[in-house]
Amino acid sequence: MIQPSEIETELLAFLRRDIFSPETNLTAETDLVAAGFDSMSLVKTLLHIETKYGKWIPESEITNEALANARALAATAARILNET
Amino acid sequence: MNLTDLLAASARCQPQKTAFVEDATEVSYAAFAEKIDSFAEKLRSLCLPPGARVGLCFPNSVNYVALTYALWKISTVVVPVPTECPPEELHEIAASMELSAILSQKTLARSEPLTPDIFLTRFTLAHPADNHGLNLAFIRFTSGTTNARKGVALSHETIRDRVLAANSAFGITGADTVIWCLPMAHHFLITIVLYLNAGATVILARHVTAKPFLEAVNRWRGTILYAAPFHFSLLARDNSSAQIDSVRLAVSTTCALPQDVAGEFFKRFARPLVPALGIIELGLVALNTADPLKRWNSVGKPLTDFRVKILSPDEHGIGEVAVSGPGICDAYAAPWQSREDILCDGWFVTGDLGRLDSEGFLYLISRKTAVINLAGRKVFPEEIEAVLDRHPSIRESRVFGRVHPHLGEVVEAEIVLSAPDANIENLSHYCREHLASYKIPTRFHVVPALPRTPTTGKIRRVAALAKT
Repeated sequence: MIQPSEIETELLAFLRRDIFSPETNLTAETDLVAAGFDSMSLVKTLLHIETKYGKWIPESEITNEALANARALAATAARILNET
Repeated sequence: MNLTDLLAASARCQPQKTAFVEDATEVSYAAFAEKIDSFAEKLRSLCLPPGARVGLCFPNSVNYVALTYALWKISTVVVPVPTECPPEELHEIAASMELSAILSQKTLARSEPLTPDIFLTRFTLAHPADNHGLNLAFIRFTSGTTNARKGVALSHETIRDRVLAANSAFGITGADTVIWCLPMAHHFLITIVLYLNAGATVILARHVTAKPFLEAVNRWRGTILYAAPFHFSLLARDNSSAQIDSVRLAVSTTCALPQDVAGEFFKRFARPLVPALGIIELGLVALNTADPLKRWNSVGKPLTDFRVKILSPDEHGIGEVAVSGPGICDAYAAPWQSREDILCDGWFVTGDLGRLDSEGFLYLISRKTAVINLAGRKVFPEEIEAVLDRHPSIRESRVFGRVHPHLGEVVEAEIVLSAPDANIENLSHYCREHLASYKIPTRFHVVPALPRTPTTGKIRRVAALAKT
């Protein structure tokens, strides 16, 4: 069972390192799309989650709510990763 | 001729027509033409000589398009530079493409402001770039080994010809509204330039998810969608009741269209996805408007003025695809190679393996080259290997694509360590410093040796490997 908080920490580190520039000052509540998260960012993030945790987040789960911020995305990822 | 003249004609014919919608703000053709003039005036003060090559490292925006036209207006050559390039790669591009300057939205080392949010960085060239007397407008570099980037060089006349040829298939007019979401640094000529020449309206969609994208289609009554299979996959899996009744053409480009995406999109919206084949050296070669439902895996018949032939076909009719037609690139810029030298008896040999059916529909089967296509972004193994091979713990490497059900292919690497106990803990960090993040291998496989061809001893290249 992977905790959402664990994924959130990992996801924030990834987003700060590979998606956003340091001046974005990204937090778990930052609105990702407003901060410049585009479709290539999404591709890279989904690929990172798959590489790290072994599961692809299905496109049907990529909603406004899931992409609201890193916390919401981590919660979505945790739910899918914990599905048996 | 200059492409800005064609845009000026659109602006004169319909000055109040909306050219762009950006963040819900409408920009008319007249206002857009004024923006170009204003940028051109500022750029003139920088004394860039005609024919100078200028990099444009900018996100999708009206400013991106206006800067391109402004650079054309002062007779300089535009070289798009993806915004995700790390500084080292950016400088390599500047050197290999012989850029006089780069315009960027972010400040770079030694940059000076052109406006409060546009910066110019100059580079010192030993000699001015030689465009061999061509009226060049555009150079799109294609990655190669870091020492051998090929720049596909296009003159104003060539771009005009390929835009005309492409629109014989798209049929875009002033009545069309295009919902745009692809990166302009990778897609611009047979799209944005074409739309503006035709007097259409372009909606710059920054949306990542399906819901706001569909809202934009319906709010602006979009008639044309032009996107990658990944975008259409997101739309097809949308679980709302939103429809796209105003759309007359949904073009799938950048990489092969998976059957499930084609099927689910049609099921969801009762509209077929129309596969297209665009090649940077050629423009739009084929578009499958004729039979996208039954032949979802075909890029269609060649456009009216194009001819396609299959070289040395095997017993299944599969061979290398060669194309001839209008708008073929004028040259490769680095090193310089003229059109005549690029073509083989008037044919451009694509590196794609494919076949034609009895009715002339073209099917792409695989590639002869090892280039990796990650959700539409081309990744060249040699470029990544050159970076990996410089790591002190790596003796040599081989980079290849791995088939991915959602993204086409992803990048993986085999590495041979320089010593059995060599430390590669910092390898990901090292890659991030030297490569755009989408080029970084998702997996590294440590192997004792790389496969080599028996005759030449070169590293054996492979087309994408099957999913593990």
